[in-house]
Amino acid sequence: MNKLGLDVKVRKIEQNAPEMVEIQCHEIDHRVLEIVSFVKARQGQVTGWIGEKQYELAISDICYLEAVDNKVFIYCSKEVYETRQKLYELEEILTQKNFLRISKSVLLNLMKVQALTPALNGRFTAILMNKEEVIISRKYVPELKKTLKGGK
Amino acid sequence: MRGKEFIKTLFMSFFIIVTLVNVATYILGITLQPEIQFGYEALLSPLIYGFFGVLPFAIMYSNRELSVRQLLIRKSVQLLLIEVLLLYISFGGGMFDPSNTRLAMPLAGSILIIYVLVNLILWLLDLNTAKSLTNELIDFQKNHNEADISVSDD
Repeated sequence: MNKLGLDVKVRKIEQNAPEMVEIQCHEIDHRVLEIVSFVKARQGQVTGWIGEKQYELAISDICYLEAVDNKVFIYCSKEVYETRQKLYELEEILTQKNFLRISKSVLLNLMKVQALTPALNGRFTAILMNKEEVIISRKYVPELKKTLKGGK
Repeated sequence: MRGKEFIKTLFMSFFIIVTLVNVATYILGITLQPEIQFGYEALLSPLIYGFFGVLPFAIMYSNRELSVRQLLIRKSVQLLLIEVLLLYISFGGGMFDPSNTRLAMPLAGSILIIYVLVNLILWLLDLNTAKSLTNELIDFQKNHNEADISVSDD
């Protein structure tokens, strides 16, 4: 049994059978929801919440994600959703989808950035397609340059 | 600011200051003391001003990212230190006659102008970097959009 308290079984199936993940549980709690979110993120979707209402968000619609006080928020063009996944968990998946860590608490979708301008003290401001502005910390600028030059 | 980036900014600031001190010396000299002639040692004064001018940059060193408020406070202290230090080496270090106080105001004014210009030039360099990053970003987006389209094998 792993730290989630669930047994993990992986079964090989025939080539023509559809691949799927099935979770057998007593109740749909946060552990189960975490696994579901992870699988969906791998498939190009992230689960977001507004209050108790759940939404499936296409990764391509996300502008950026921000961690604030142990909570992670997903910023789309108009709405802000909360996610129950940790920022570092999402980072692992989203860096393959053109997202980049631009500060200790923010993951930015590079495909949603319209322009970059200098901010104070060696930092840069990313101006998003929806005109929102996000600060890129100095520490993460070299990684941004590397990514844009095709280093990732 | 810290590490390599701090050293890089320090060197860039030094050379910008040296160039601007040369210009300021020319303008102040020709305006206030056109009759004075210098020896070869005068060529060292921009380097000395440059060296002492970058010393207070140490106050900008930080392991943490500074907030705008912290940054402005440190910049103000930095300017104050530069003014005091450079006026002290100018009059106390024998570059100018301490009794010739009419030079103090233009000198302090020149230091302020050079400080503003150094920061403006550094910002313009950042602006240039931002422009080239934006162009690279546009190429990146174009390439990745094309890559997304070509994924479909149907």
